[in-house]
Amino acid sequence: MDLSLYLPRLGDGLVLSLQLTAISVVLGYALGLVFALGVSSTNKLVRFPTLVVVEIGRGIPALVVLYIVYYGFPAIGILFENVLAAAIGLTFTAAAYSSEMIRAGLQSVPKGQLEAAAALGLHGRTAFGRVIFPQGIRSAIPGLMGLAIQSFQGTSLAYSISVNELMSQSYQVSTITFDYLAVYAITGLMYVAIAVPATWLSMGVEKRLARGYA
Amino acid sequence: MSVPSLTMSTEVPTAGVEISNISKSFGNHLVLDDISMAVTPGSVTALIGPSGSGKSTLLRCVNLLEKPDRGTITVGSQTIEAGSRVSDRDLLALRRQVGMVFQSFNLFPHFTVLRNIAFPQERILGRSREEAEERAMVLLDRVGLREKAGQHPGRCSGGQQQRIAIARALALDPRAMLFDEPTSALDPEVGVEVIAVMRELAETGMTMIVVTHEMQFAREVGDHLVVMADGHIIEEGIPAAVMADPREERTRRFLSAVLDR
Repeated sequence: MDLSLYLPRLGDGLVLSLQLTAISVVLGYALGLVFALGVSSTNKLVRFPTLVVVEIGRGIPALVVLYIVYYGFPAIGILFENVLAAAIGLTFTAAAYSSEMIRAGLQSVPKGQLEAAAALGLHGRTAFGRVIFPQGIRSAIPGLMGLAIQSFQGTSLAYSISVNELMSQSYQVSTITFDYLAVYAITGLMYVAIAVPATWLSMGVEKRLARGYA
Repeated sequence: MSVPSLTMSTEVPTAGVEISNISKSFGNHLVLDDISMAVTPGSVTALIGPSGSGKSTLLRCVNLLEKPDRGTITVGSQTIEAGSRVSDRDLLALRRQVGMVFQSFNLFPHFTVLRNIAFPQERILGRSREEAEERAMVLLDRVGLREKAGQHPGRCSGGQQQRIAIARALALDPRAMLFDEPTSALDPEVGVEVIAVMRELAETGMTMIVVTHEMQFAREVGDHLVVMADGHIIEEGIPAAVMADPREERTRRFLSAVLDR
């Protein structure tokens, strides 16, 4: 059987995987910032609940999160279509992991920066937005890029809730062609074709950031 | 055209600073014990003392980077009462009147030198970008660093960074300036550049409170010398007089230790 007939299907799967990655990274990192601020809050009523949510997100395997969202939530009347369930689950996991990287980045900004901003008379929100955040996020970037690559690979878990992403497509193709080795080898190479250049990019960015501001 | 003065603040007169009965504890440790001190407008007060004496904490109380537990701070016509809740507006109003220079410079590393000086003006005084950058260039000129405008602070030496930090504070037309060991992180030969800028600033009539170990600066530029130890002012007076003939044994010991370095 001519495997090339099925390459478009794998291509479609890859596109959906990339879309899921984009959604979970963009929304997940935005939510991660919110979590990072919550965990850094001086208000205990904000800090503790946020910390619990983050630790749950980091502690539960992404696959379990997907099952809870897709199979579990209907029991309490919350029903999601499978792609949406995957997007929500992966976003939550990305948020939990990224929040710790963002928090560490923000914390790495020297205390003197905030003091200088305060002494100049800048508003707290200006000091955060223009002084602390740009420096903190910069030191978190290498980790966040690595996490984005892991998130991309992690989209394969959505296969388990019947989302037609790359892994799911290749499983279906393999059951038609019975050419398991070739199909999964091609699938693996497709993940590699995205992940490896992304890793190179991330290393390049890291090297550039290490040179400092110029 | 005449050379612009370092402050160009003819419309913003310098202000006096009055510290009354300030106390401050960190946990159980009393760092400032009922300190009072008056700084007349346009004068230079040098604050000296061994480390842990509370001099930096006292300085940081003036612009409320540290919140005193008791006492009042007056800058110009604005008085802040410790203990009472200070509104954001009052806090920012106070800080806008008082410039501060730190031991570790604390320039914003992600901004160019020019943006470091222009950005706060735009945000705090509402100046246009052109106006703020023009003012920044004038000040950079005065501290001798015009050519650094487009670079990031990381490309500047410590002495250059500190002069830029002074320019950044002055750009907001402060009515008084606080210096927290401005040369302590610098090699002596570089500290000289910073001292020169501060000397010039003092000549323009800026009110200055300077925490320092630079005894020569304190003697030659200072109008008043305050010696602190263990959260108390143990001695104060005209700098040359205190240095020549300290009344307190502890002052004598501290002075000889600093002067022998």
